[in-house]
Amino acid sequence: MENIISLDNVSYYYKVYDESGKRTFHAGVKNVTLDIQKGSFVALVGHNGCGKSTLAKLLNGLLIPQQGKGKVLVNGLDTADDKNLFEVRKTVGMVFQNPDNQMVASIVEEDVAFGPENLGIPQKEIVERVTKSLQKVGMLEYAKRTPTRLSGGQKQRIAIAGALAIQPQVLVLDESTAMLDPMGRKEVLNVAHQLNKEGMTVVLITHFMEEVLDADVVVVMNNGEIVAKGTPMQIFDNADVVDKVGLRLPRTVELAARLHAQGFDVDRHCTDARLLGEKICQLLQKN
Amino acid sequence: MFRDVTFGQYYPTRSFMHSMDARVKILLNILYLVGIFFITSFAVYGFLTVLLVVMIACSRVPLKSILRSLRGILFLLLLTVILNIFLNTSGKLLWQWWIFSIYDQGLYSAAKLFLRLVYLVMGASLLTLTTTPVDLTHAIESLLKPLKLIRVPVHELALIMSLTLSFIPSLMEETDRIIRAQKARGANFDTGGLIKRAKAFVPILIPLLVSSFRRAEELANAMSSRCYGGPVKRTSMRVMRIGWRDVVATLVMLIFWGGVITLYAMSGTLSPMVPWLYF
Repeated sequence: MENIISLDNVSYYYKVYDESGKRTFHAGVKNVTLDIQKGSFVALVGHNGCGKSTLAKLLNGLLIPQQGKGKVLVNGLDTADDKNLFEVRKTVGMVFQNPDNQMVASIVEEDVAFGPENLGIPQKEIVERVTKSLQKVGMLEYAKRTPTRLSGGQKQRIAIAGALAIQPQVLVLDESTAMLDPMGRKEVLNVAHQLNKEGMTVVLITHFMEEVLDADVVVVMNNGEIVAKGTPMQIFDNADVVDKVGLRLPRTVELAARLHAQGFDVDRHCTDARLLGEKICQLLQKN
Repeated sequence: MFRDVTFGQYYPTRSFMHSMDARVKILLNILYLVGIFFITSFAVYGFLTVLLVVMIACSRVPLKSILRSLRGILFLLLLTVILNIFLNTSGKLLWQWWIFSIYDQGLYSAAKLFLRLVYLVMGASLLTLTTTPVDLTHAIESLLKPLKLIRVPVHELALIMSLTLSFIPSLMEETDRIIRAQKARGANFDTGGLIKRAKAFVPILIPLLVSSFRRAEELANAMSSRCYGGPVKRTSMRVMRIGWRDVVATLVMLIFWGGVITLYAMSGTLSPMVPWLYF
Protein backbone atom coordinates (compact mmCIF):
# COMPACT_ATOMS: atom_id res chain seq x y z
CA MET A 1 0.00 0.00 0.00
CA GLU A 2 1.03 3.49 -0.82
CA ASN A 3 1.74 5.98 1.95
CA ILE A 4 -0.21 9.21 1.69
CA ILE A 5 1.40 10.89 4.68
CA SER A 6 4.74 10.02 6.16
CA LEU A 7 6.43 11.56 9.14
CA ASP A 8 10.13 10.96 9.42
CA ASN A 9 11.55 11.44 12.89
CA VAL A 10 9.52 14.60 13.47
CA SER A 11 9.79 16.78 16.55
CA TYR A 12 7.99 20.00 17.33
CA TYR A 13 8.90 22.32 20.18
CA TYR A 14 6.74 25.02 21.70
CA LYS A 15 8.30 28.09 23.19
CA VAL A 16 7.34 28.42 26.83
CA TYR A 17 7.99 31.55 28.87
CA ASP A 18 8.14 31.25 32.65
CA GLU A 19 7.25 34.08 34.99
CA SER A 20 10.67 35.67 34.84
CA GLY A 21 10.38 35.77 31.07
CA LYS A 22 12.94 33.04 30.54
CA ARG A 23 12.36 31.02 27.42
CA THR A 24 12.38 27.28 27.48
CA PHE A 25 11.26 24.74 24.94
CA HIS A 26 8.56 22.22 25.53
CA ALA A 27 8.32 19.26 23.20
CA GLY A 28 4.85 18.92 21.72
CA VAL A 29 5.91 16.00 19.59
CA LYS A 30 9.17 14.07 19.92
CA ASN A 31 10.87 11.88 17.32
CA VAL A 32 7.71 10.62 15.72
CA THR A 33 7.99 8.36 12.72
CA LEU A 34 4.67 7.34 11.26
CA ASP A 35 3.34 6.29 7.88
CA ILE A 36 -0.32 6.66 7.03
CA GLN A 37 -1.46 4.39 4.24
CA LYS A 38 -3.85 5.48 1.57
CA GLY A 39 -7.43 4.45 2.35
CA SER A 40 -6.71 3.38 5.91
CA PHE A 41 -8.50 4.40 9.09
CA VAL A 42 -5.95 5.48 11.65
CA ALA A 43 -6.90 6.26 15.22
CA LEU A 44 -4.56 8.38 17.30
CA VAL A 45 -5.19 8.10 21.02
CA GLY A 46 -3.69 9.57 24.13
CA HIS A 47 -4.84 11.62 27.06
CA ASN A 48 -4.84 15.41 27.18
CA GLY A 49 -1.52 17.05 26.46
CA CYS A 50 0.10 13.98 24.94
CA GLY A 51 0.81 15.79 21.69
CA LYS A 52 -1.85 14.33 19.49
CA SER A 53 -3.28 17.70 18.47
CA THR A 54 0.22 18.97 17.75
CA LEU A 55 0.70 15.94 15.55
CA ALA A 56 -2.59 16.69 13.78
CA LYS A 57 -1.52 20.24 13.04
CA LEU A 58 1.74 18.93 11.61
CA LEU A 59 -0.20 16.82 9.12
CA ASN A 60 -1.52 19.75 7.08
CA GLY A 61 1.21 22.29 7.61
CA LEU A 62 -0.50 24.37 10.30
CA LEU A 63 2.66 23.60 12.24
CA ILE A 64 5.94 22.86 10.58
CA PRO A 65 8.72 20.91 12.28
CA GLN A 66 11.59 23.17 13.27
CA GLN A 67 14.65 23.15 11.06
CA GLY A 68 16.40 19.83 11.17
CA LYS A 69 13.70 18.21 13.29
CA GLY A 70 12.34 15.87 10.71
CA LYS A 71 10.08 16.04 7.71
CA VAL A 72 6.39 15.65 7.03
CA LEU A 73 5.60 14.47 3.53
CA VAL A 74 2.06 14.61 2.14
CA ASN A 75 1.84 12.81 -1.19
CA GLY A 76 5.58 13.26 -1.34
CA LEU A 77 5.36 17.03 -0.82
CA ASP A 78 7.31 18.53 2.06
CA THR A 79 5.03 20.66 4.25
CA ALA A 80 8.00 22.86 5.16
CA ASP A 81 8.09 24.23 1.64
CA ASP A 82 5.82 27.27 1.29
CA LYS A 83 5.12 26.40 -2.32
CA ASN A 84 3.52 23.12 -1.27
CA LEU A 85 1.35 24.46 1.52
CA PHE A 86 -1.74 25.08 -0.59
CA GLU A 87 -1.48 21.66 -2.23
CA VAL A 88 -0.96 19.99 1.15
CA ARG A 89 -4.08 21.60 2.60
CA LYS A 90 -6.06 20.60 -0.46
CA THR A 91 -5.00 17.02 0.21
CA VAL A 92 -5.52 16.95 3.97
CA GLY A 93 -8.85 18.25 5.23
CA MET A 94 -9.14 18.95 8.91
CA VAL A 95 -12.01 19.21 11.38
CA PHE A 96 -11.42 20.60 14.86
CA GLN A 97 -12.86 20.17 18.30
CA ASN A 98 -15.22 23.07 18.82
CA PRO A 99 -17.85 23.22 16.07
CA ASP A 100 -18.71 26.85 16.89
CA ASN A 101 -15.17 28.04 16.32
CA GLN A 102 -14.82 26.74 12.78
CA MET A 103 -17.98 28.15 11.24
CA VAL A 104 -17.03 30.94 8.90
CA ALA A 105 -20.47 31.99 7.71
CA SER A 106 -23.85 32.24 9.34
CA ILE A 107 -25.59 30.09 6.73
CA VAL A 108 -24.77 26.39 6.40
CA GLU A 109 -24.23 26.26 2.65
CA GLU A 110 -22.06 29.37 2.66
CA ASP A 111 -19.90 27.88 5.34
CA VAL A 112 -19.41 24.71 3.31
CA ALA A 113 -18.65 26.83 0.24
CA PHE A 114 -15.81 28.64 2.01
CA GLY A 115 -13.15 26.07 1.04
CA PRO A 116 -13.98 25.81 -2.67
CA GLU A 117 -14.31 29.61 -2.83
CA ASN A 118 -10.75 29.87 -1.56
CA LEU A 119 -9.64 27.44 -4.25
CA GLY A 120 -11.13 29.66 -6.95
CA ILE A 121 -13.54 27.01 -8.19
CA PRO A 122 -16.15 28.29 -10.69
CA GLN A 123 -19.53 29.14 -9.16
CA LYS A 124 -21.48 26.25 -10.70
CA GLU A 125 -19.03 23.65 -9.48
CA ILE A 126 -19.07 25.17 -5.98
CA VAL A 127 -22.82 24.63 -5.81
CA GLU A 128 -22.33 21.01 -6.95
CA ARG A 129 -19.60 20.40 -4.40
CA VAL A 130 -21.62 21.95 -1.59
CA THR A 131 -24.67 19.84 -2.42
CA LYS A 132 -22.60 16.68 -2.68
CA SER A 133 -20.69 17.31 0.55
CA LEU A 134 -23.83 18.08 2.52
CA GLN A 135 -25.45 14.99 1.07
CA LYS A 136 -22.56 12.82 2.21
CA VAL A 137 -22.95 13.92 5.80
CA GLY A 138 -26.74 13.85 5.62
CA MET A 139 -27.25 17.55 6.20
CA LEU A 140 -28.57 18.67 2.82
CA GLU A 141 -31.96 19.70 4.15
CA TYR A 142 -30.26 22.21 6.44
CA ALA A 143 -28.40 23.99 3.63
CA LYS A 144 -30.19 27.31 4.02
CA ARG A 145 -30.38 27.31 7.81
CA THR A 146 -28.20 29.07 10.35
CA PRO A 147 -25.94 26.70 12.27
CA THR A 148 -26.62 28.28 15.68
CA ARG A 149 -29.77 26.29 16.37
CA LEU A 150 -28.32 22.92 15.34
CA SER A 151 -27.00 20.24 17.69
CA GLY A 152 -23.28 19.70 18.22
CA GLY A 153 -23.29 16.55 16.11
CA GLN A 154 -25.03 18.33 13.28
CA LYS A 155 -22.64 21.28 13.44
CA GLN A 156 -19.69 18.92 13.39
CA ARG A 157 -21.11 17.13 10.35
CA ILE A 158 -21.36 20.51 8.64
CA ALA A 159 -17.72 21.12 9.51
CA ILE A 160 -16.90 17.76 7.92
CA ALA A 161 -18.88 18.79 4.83
CA GLY A 162 -16.81 21.98 4.78
CA ALA A 163 -13.64 19.89 4.68
CA LEU A 164 -15.08 17.50 2.08
CA ALA A 165 -15.94 20.36 -0.27
CA ILE A 166 -12.21 20.82 -0.81
CA GLN A 167 -12.17 17.18 -2.01
CA PRO A 168 -9.28 16.06 0.15
CA GLN A 169 -7.73 12.60 0.16
CA VAL A 170 -7.22 12.56 3.90
CA LEU A 171 -9.68 13.68 6.55
CA VAL A 172 -8.20 14.49 9.96
CA LEU A 173 -10.69 14.67 12.82
CA ASP A 174 -8.83 16.45 15.60
CA GLU A 175 -10.85 15.52 18.69
CA SER A 176 -13.94 16.35 16.72
CA THR A 177 -16.06 14.16 18.98
CA ALA A 178 -14.70 15.43 22.30
CA MET A 179 -17.36 18.08 22.87
CA LEU A 180 -20.31 16.04 21.65
CA ASP A 181 -22.93 14.00 23.45
CA PRO A 182 -23.02 10.23 22.76
CA MET A 183 -25.56 10.68 19.98
CA GLY A 184 -23.51 13.35 18.25
CA ARG A 185 -20.37 11.28 18.65
CA LYS A 186 -22.06 8.36 16.97
CA GLU A 187 -23.27 10.55 14.09
CA VAL A 188 -19.78 11.87 13.44
CA LEU A 189 -18.14 8.44 13.71
CA ASN A 190 -20.68 6.92 11.33
CA VAL A 191 -19.91 9.62 8.78
CA ALA A 192 -16.17 9.04 9.22
CA HIS A 193 -16.50 5.30 8.68
CA GLN A 194 -18.81 5.77 5.70
CA LEU A 195 -16.29 8.11 4.10
CA ASN A 196 -13.51 5.63 4.81
CA LYS A 197 -15.48 2.91 3.02
CA GLU A 198 -15.71 5.22 0.01
CA GLY A 199 -11.93 5.40 -0.10
CA MET A 200 -11.09 8.38 2.11
CA THR A 201 -8.11 8.06 4.40
CA VAL A 202 -9.27 8.99 7.88
CA VAL A 203 -7.14 10.03 10.84
CA LEU A 204 -9.26 10.06 13.97
CA ILE A 205 -7.79 11.73 17.01
CA THR A 206 -9.57 10.98 20.25
CA HIS A 207 -9.26 10.01 23.87
CA PHE A 208 -12.25 7.69 23.82
CA MET A 209 -11.00 4.14 23.39
CA GLU A 210 -14.50 3.03 22.29
CA GLU A 211 -13.99 5.01 19.11
CA VAL A 212 -10.88 3.13 17.98
CA LEU A 213 -12.57 -0.30 17.83
CA ASP A 214 -13.15 -0.20 14.07
CA ALA A 215 -9.89 1.48 13.11
CA ASP A 216 -7.29 -0.29 10.97
CA VAL A 217 -4.37 1.07 12.94
CA VAL A 218 -4.28 2.49 16.45
CA VAL A 219 -1.43 4.75 17.49
CA VAL A 220 -1.02 5.43 21.20
CA MET A 221 0.81 8.59 22.19
CA ASN A 222 2.24 9.76 25.47
CA ASN A 223 4.41 12.79 26.24
CA GLY A 224 4.78 13.55 22.56
CA GLU A 225 6.02 10.11 21.66
CA ILE A 226 4.42 7.10 20.04
CA VAL A 227 4.37 4.35 22.66
CA ALA A 228 2.42 1.71 20.83
CA LYS A 229 1.07 1.04 17.37
CA GLY A 230 -0.99 -1.80 15.97
CA THR A 231 -4.45 -3.12 15.27
CA PRO A 232 -7.05 -2.37 17.95
CA MET A 233 -6.75 -5.94 19.27
CA GLN A 234 -2.97 -5.78 19.50
CA ILE A 235 -3.31 -2.59 21.50
CA PHE A 236 -6.02 -4.02 23.74
CA ASP A 237 -3.86 -7.06 24.48
CA ASN A 238 -1.18 -4.70 25.62
CA ALA A 239 -3.27 -3.46 28.53
CA ASP A 240 -0.18 -2.35 30.50
CA VAL A 241 0.70 0.30 27.95
CA VAL A 242 -2.85 1.56 27.72
CA ASP A 243 -3.04 1.76 31.48
CA LYS A 244 0.30 3.50 31.79
CA VAL A 245 -0.66 6.36 29.49
CA GLY A 246 -3.82 6.97 31.48
CA LEU A 247 -6.36 5.53 29.07
CA ARG A 248 -8.98 2.89 29.67
CA LEU A 249 -9.92 -0.01 27.46
CA PRO A 250 -13.45 -0.02 26.11
CA ARG A 251 -15.61 -1.48 28.87
CA THR A 252 -16.69 -4.50 26.86
CA VAL A 253 -13.13 -5.37 25.94
CA GLU A 254 -11.92 -4.89 29.49
CA LEU A 255 -14.61 -7.13 30.91
CA ALA A 256 -14.02 -9.81 28.29
CA ALA A 257 -10.28 -9.74 28.86
CA ARG A 258 -10.65 -10.02 32.61
CA LEU A 259 -13.10 -12.89 32.40
CA HIS A 260 -10.75 -14.64 30.00
CA ALA A 261 -7.83 -14.07 32.36
CA GLN A 262 -9.85 -15.69 35.14
CA GLY A 263 -10.14 -18.81 33.01
CA PHE A 264 -13.68 -18.39 31.71
CA ASP A 265 -14.46 -19.48 28.21
CA VAL A 266 -14.91 -16.01 26.76
CA ASP A 267 -13.50 -14.56 23.57
CA ARG A 268 -11.09 -12.04 25.00
CA HIS A 269 -11.37 -9.86 21.94
CA CYS A 270 -15.12 -9.53 22.20
CA THR A 271 -16.15 -5.98 21.34
CA ASP A 272 -19.88 -6.47 21.06
CA ALA A 273 -21.59 -5.80 24.39
CA ARG A 274 -24.67 -7.81 23.43
CA LEU A 275 -22.61 -10.85 22.39
CA LEU A 276 -20.60 -10.71 25.59
CA GLY A 277 -23.79 -10.42 27.62
CA GLU A 278 -25.26 -13.50 26.01
CA LYS A 279 -22.04 -15.40 26.59
CA ILE A 280 -22.02 -14.45 30.27
CA CYS A 281 -25.64 -15.53 30.64
CA GLN A 282 -24.79 -18.90 29.10
CA LEU A 283 -21.86 -19.32 31.49
CA LEU A 284 -24.03 -18.39 34.47
CA GLN A 285 -26.65 -20.97 33.47
CA LYS A 286 -24.01 -23.65 33.07
CA ASN A 287 -22.62 -23.09 36.55
CA MET B 1 -29.98 36.61 30.03
CA PHE B 2 -29.07 37.12 26.39
CA ARG B 3 -30.80 34.04 24.98
CA ASP B 4 -33.56 35.89 23.24
CA VAL B 5 -31.54 38.60 21.62
CA THR B 6 -31.89 38.32 17.88
CA PHE B 7 -29.42 40.22 15.89
CA GLY B 8 -30.55 42.82 13.42
CA GLN B 9 -34.17 43.42 12.68
CA TYR B 10 -34.69 41.25 9.64
CA TYR B 11 -38.34 40.31 9.19
CA PRO B 12 -38.45 36.91 7.49
CA THR B 13 -41.15 36.59 4.87
CA ARG B 14 -41.46 36.45 1.09
CA SER B 15 -42.24 39.64 -0.72
CA PHE B 16 -41.45 41.80 -3.71
CA MET B 17 -38.90 43.70 -1.68
CA HIS B 18 -37.37 40.65 -0.01
CA SER B 19 -36.59 39.19 -3.44
CA MET B 20 -34.87 42.30 -4.70
CA ASP B 21 -31.12 42.41 -5.15
CA ALA B 22 -29.53 43.77 -1.97
CA ARG B 23 -27.22 46.04 -3.96
CA VAL B 24 -30.14 47.69 -5.73
CA LYS B 25 -31.91 48.07 -2.40
CA ILE B 26 -28.89 49.80 -0.88
CA LEU B 27 -28.54 52.19 -3.80
CA LEU B 28 -32.25 53.01 -3.90
CA ASN B 29 -32.15 53.50 -0.15
CA ILE B 30 -29.39 56.06 -0.56
CA LEU B 31 -31.42 57.77 -3.27
CA TYR B 32 -34.40 57.87 -0.90
CA LEU B 33 -32.33 59.26 1.97
CA VAL B 34 -30.83 62.00 -0.18
CA GLY B 35 -34.05 62.73 -2.04
CA ILE B 36 -36.07 63.34 1.07
CA PHE B 37 -34.01 66.47 1.74
CA PHE B 38 -35.29 68.00 -1.48
CA ILE B 39 -38.88 67.89 -0.31
CA THR B 40 -40.03 71.26 0.94
CA SER B 41 -43.81 71.23 0.75
CA PHE B 42 -46.70 69.40 2.33
CA ALA B 43 -48.05 68.48 -1.08
CA VAL B 44 -44.92 66.52 -1.96
CA TYR B 45 -44.91 64.91 1.48
CA GLY B 46 -48.37 63.75 0.51
CA PHE B 47 -46.94 62.06 -2.60
CA LEU B 48 -44.17 60.57 -0.49
CA THR B 49 -46.78 59.13 1.84
CA VAL B 50 -48.33 57.35 -1.11
CA LEU B 51 -44.92 56.05 -2.16
CA LEU B 52 -44.13 54.87 1.35
CA VAL B 53 -47.47 53.08 1.62
CA VAL B 54 -46.74 51.31 -1.67
CA MET B 55 -43.21 50.43 -0.46
CA ILE B 56 -44.50 49.01 2.80
CA ALA B 57 -47.14 47.04 0.93
CA CYS B 58 -44.39 45.63 -1.32
CA SER B 59 -42.32 44.59 1.71
CA ARG B 60 -45.20 42.85 3.52
CA VAL B 61 -43.62 43.90 6.80
CA PRO B 62 -46.28 44.77 9.41
CA LEU B 63 -46.50 48.47 10.16
CA LYS B 64 -45.82 47.73 13.81
CA SER B 65 -42.33 46.44 13.07
CA ILE B 66 -41.58 49.50 10.97
CA LEU B 67 -42.85 51.92 13.59
CA ARG B 68 -40.72 50.14 16.17
CA SER B 69 -37.64 51.54 14.44
CA LEU B 70 -38.89 55.02 15.36
CA ARG B 71 -38.39 54.33 19.04
CA GLY B 72 -34.70 55.03 18.75
CA ILE B 73 -35.24 58.58 17.49
CA LEU B 74 -38.20 59.45 19.71
CA PHE B 75 -36.20 61.84 21.88
CA LEU B 76 -34.54 63.50 18.91
CA LEU B 77 -37.93 63.84 17.26
CA LEU B 78 -39.52 65.54 20.27
CA LEU B 79 -36.58 67.85 20.76
CA THR B 80 -36.50 69.06 17.15
CA VAL B 81 -40.24 69.57 17.02
CA ILE B 82 -40.30 71.59 20.26
CA LEU B 83 -37.28 73.68 19.29
CA ASN B 84 -38.79 74.41 15.90
CA ILE B 85 -42.14 75.43 17.31
CA PHE B 86 -40.72 77.87 19.83
CA LEU B 87 -37.62 79.20 18.13
CA ASN B 88 -39.01 80.01 14.70
CA THR B 89 -40.25 83.60 14.84
CA SER B 90 -41.43 84.28 11.29
CA GLY B 91 -44.96 84.58 10.03
CA LYS B 92 -48.11 85.26 12.03
CA LEU B 93 -48.05 85.22 15.84
CA LEU B 94 -50.57 82.64 17.04
CA TRP B 95 -50.03 82.33 20.76
CA GLN B 96 -47.86 83.89 23.43
CA TRP B 97 -47.14 83.32 27.11
CA TRP B 98 -44.23 84.73 29.11
CA ILE B 99 -41.15 84.12 26.92
CA PHE B 100 -42.85 81.46 24.79
CA SER B 101 -44.47 82.36 21.52
CA ILE B 102 -45.71 80.31 18.60
CA TYR B 103 -45.77 81.52 15.01
CA ASP B 104 -47.50 79.77 12.12
CA GLN B 105 -44.25 79.30 10.17
CA GLY B 106 -42.82 77.61 13.24
CA LEU B 107 -45.69 75.13 13.28
CA TYR B 108 -45.27 74.41 9.57
CA SER B 109 -41.51 73.88 9.76
CA ALA B 110 -41.90 71.69 12.84
CA ALA B 111 -44.47 69.56 11.05
CA LYS B 112 -42.26 69.25 7.98
CA LEU B 113 -39.23 68.28 10.05
CA PHE B 114 -41.31 65.74 11.89
CA LEU B 115 -42.46 64.19 8.61
CA ARG B 116 -38.95 64.27 7.21
CA LEU B 117 -37.41 62.45 10.16
CA VAL B 118 -40.21 59.90 10.47
CA TYR B 119 -40.25 59.08 6.76
CA LEU B 120 -36.47 59.00 6.68
CA VAL B 121 -36.27 56.36 9.37
CA MET B 122 -39.25 54.38 8.10
CA GLY B 123 -37.84 54.21 4.59
CA ALA B 124 -34.37 53.35 5.78
CA SER B 125 -35.59 50.63 8.12
CA LEU B 126 -37.25 48.86 5.20
CA LEU B 127 -33.77 48.01 3.92
CA THR B 128 -32.69 46.19 7.08
CA LEU B 129 -36.14 44.71 7.59
CA THR B 130 -36.15 43.04 4.19
CA THR B 131 -32.45 42.14 3.81
CA THR B 132 -30.55 39.57 5.86
CA PRO B 133 -27.27 40.74 7.42
CA VAL B 134 -25.48 38.18 5.24
CA ASP B 135 -26.97 39.63 2.07
CA LEU B 136 -26.11 43.11 3.23
CA THR B 137 -22.48 42.14 3.72
CA HIS B 138 -22.30 40.57 0.27
CA ALA B 139 -23.92 43.62 -1.28
CA ILE B 140 -21.58 46.02 0.48
CA GLU B 141 -18.61 43.97 -0.67
CA SER B 142 -19.86 44.03 -4.22
CA LEU B 143 -20.63 47.76 -4.19
CA LEU B 144 -17.25 48.66 -2.71
CA LYS B 145 -15.32 46.58 -5.23
CA PRO B 146 -14.06 49.65 -7.13
CA LEU B 147 -12.17 50.65 -3.97
CA LYS B 148 -9.89 47.66 -4.56
CA LEU B 149 -8.20 49.80 -7.19
CA ILE B 150 -6.89 52.07 -4.46
CA ARG B 151 -5.86 49.02 -2.44
CA VAL B 152 -8.68 49.02 0.09
CA PRO B 153 -8.96 45.39 1.29
CA VAL B 154 -12.67 45.22 0.49
CA HIS B 155 -12.99 41.45 0.67
CA GLU B 156 -11.18 41.24 3.99
CA LEU B 157 -13.38 43.96 5.46
CA ALA B 158 -16.50 42.17 4.28
CA LEU B 159 -15.21 38.90 5.74
CA ILE B 160 -14.56 40.59 9.06
CA MET B 161 -18.11 41.90 9.00
CA SER B 162 -19.66 38.54 8.25
CA LEU B 163 -17.46 36.74 10.80
CA THR B 164 -18.54 39.27 13.40
CA LEU B 165 -22.15 38.59 12.53
CA SER B 166 -21.76 34.84 12.75
CA PHE B 167 -19.90 34.99 16.07
CA ILE B 168 -22.41 37.18 17.85
CA PRO B 169 -24.64 34.27 18.92
CA SER B 170 -21.74 32.21 20.30
CA LEU B 171 -20.30 35.18 22.16
CA MET B 172 -23.73 35.94 23.62
CA GLU B 173 -23.98 32.37 24.81
CA GLU B 174 -20.49 32.54 26.23
CA THR B 175 -21.26 35.76 28.11
CA ASP B 176 -24.38 34.18 29.49
CA ARG B 177 -22.38 31.18 30.67
CA ILE B 178 -19.69 33.30 32.31
CA ILE B 179 -22.28 35.42 34.10
CA ARG B 180 -23.94 32.34 35.49
CA ALA B 181 -20.59 30.83 36.46
CA GLN B 182 -19.60 34.02 38.30
CA LYS B 183 -22.99 34.22 39.98
CA ALA B 184 -22.53 30.66 41.17
CA ARG B 185 -19.28 31.84 42.75
CA GLY B 186 -21.16 34.57 44.56
CA ALA B 187 -20.67 37.51 42.22
CA ASN B 188 -23.22 40.27 42.55
CA PHE B 189 -24.24 42.32 39.55
CA ASP B 190 -27.45 43.90 40.72
CA THR B 191 -26.67 46.00 43.77
CA GLY B 192 -24.45 48.95 44.60
CA GLY B 193 -23.79 52.22 42.86
CA LEU B 194 -22.89 52.73 39.26
CA ILE B 195 -19.15 52.34 39.81
CA LYS B 196 -19.57 49.23 41.89
CA ARG B 197 -21.77 47.69 39.25
CA ALA B 198 -19.37 48.61 36.49
CA LYS B 199 -16.56 47.00 38.48
CA ALA B 200 -18.64 43.87 38.88
CA PHE B 201 -18.43 43.38 35.14
CA VAL B 202 -14.65 43.04 35.10
CA PRO B 203 -14.82 39.34 36.08
CA ILE B 204 -17.09 38.82 33.07
CA LEU B 205 -15.12 40.82 30.56
CA ILE B 206 -11.72 39.25 31.27
CA PRO B 207 -12.76 35.61 30.75
CA LEU B 208 -14.73 36.72 27.71
CA LEU B 209 -11.69 38.45 26.26
CA VAL B 210 -9.47 35.44 26.91
CA SER B 211 -11.91 33.03 25.34
CA SER B 212 -12.37 35.32 22.34
CA PHE B 213 -8.65 35.10 21.69
CA ARG B 214 -8.79 31.34 21.92
CA ARG B 215 -11.72 31.28 19.53
CA ALA B 216 -9.91 33.58 17.13
CA GLU B 217 -6.90 31.28 17.11
CA GLU B 218 -9.04 28.22 16.44
CA LEU B 219 -10.97 30.02 13.75
CA ALA B 220 -7.73 31.09 12.09
CA ASN B 221 -6.55 27.47 12.09
CA ALA B 222 -9.85 26.28 10.66
CA MET B 223 -9.71 28.92 7.93
CA SER B 224 -6.11 28.11 7.00
CA SER B 225 -7.00 24.43 6.88
CA ARG B 226 -9.64 25.28 4.34
CA CYS B 227 -7.07 26.94 2.10
CA TYR B 228 -7.83 30.55 2.96
CA GLY B 229 -5.25 33.02 1.75
CA GLY B 230 -3.98 30.82 -1.03
CA PRO B 231 -2.40 32.06 -4.23
CA VAL B 232 -5.53 31.81 -6.38
CA LYS B 233 -8.24 34.40 -6.79
CA ARG B 234 -11.27 33.67 -4.63
CA THR B 235 -14.59 32.96 -6.26
CA SER B 236 -18.03 33.14 -4.74
CA MET B 237 -20.88 30.68 -4.56
CA ARG B 238 -23.48 33.38 -4.33
CA VAL B 239 -24.56 34.99 -7.57
CA MET B 240 -26.32 38.30 -7.36
CA ARG B 241 -28.70 38.83 -10.20
CA ILE B 242 -30.67 41.90 -11.15
CA GLY B 243 -34.26 40.78 -11.77
CA TRP B 244 -37.38 42.43 -13.15
CA ARG B 245 -38.33 43.58 -9.66
CA ASP B 246 -35.12 45.56 -9.41
CA VAL B 247 -35.76 47.21 -12.75
CA VAL B 248 -39.34 48.11 -11.85
CA ALA B 249 -38.38 49.44 -8.42
CA THR B 250 -35.50 51.46 -9.86
CA LEU B 251 -37.76 53.01 -12.53
CA VAL B 252 -40.43 53.95 -10.00
CA MET B 253 -37.89 55.46 -7.64
CA LEU B 254 -36.08 57.33 -10.42
CA ILE B 255 -39.32 58.83 -11.71
CA PHE B 256 -40.48 59.84 -8.24
CA TRP B 257 -37.23 61.36 -7.05
CA GLY B 258 -36.59 62.84 -10.49
CA GLY B 259 -39.90 64.64 -10.12
CA VAL B 260 -39.10 65.78 -6.60
CA ILE B 261 -35.75 67.20 -7.59
CA THR B 262 -37.21 68.89 -10.70
CA LEU B 263 -39.82 70.57 -8.51
CA TYR B 264 -37.08 71.70 -6.17
CA ALA B 265 -34.84 73.01 -8.93
CA MET B 266 -37.62 74.83 -10.77
CA SER B 267 -39.29 76.32 -7.71
CA GLY B 268 -38.61 79.84 -8.98
CA THR B 269 -40.70 79.46 -12.14
CA LEU B 270 -43.23 76.91 -10.94
CA SER B 271 -44.23 78.22 -7.53
CA PRO B 272 -46.29 81.22 -8.83
CA MET B 273 -48.09 78.90 -11.28
CA VAL B 274 -48.98 76.03 -8.93
CA PRO B 275 -48.66 77.49 -5.45
CA TRP B 276 -50.32 74.51 -3.72
CA LEU B 277 -47.40 72.30 -4.77
CA TYR B 278 -45.08 74.53 -2.77
CA PHE B 279 -47.15 74.97 0.36
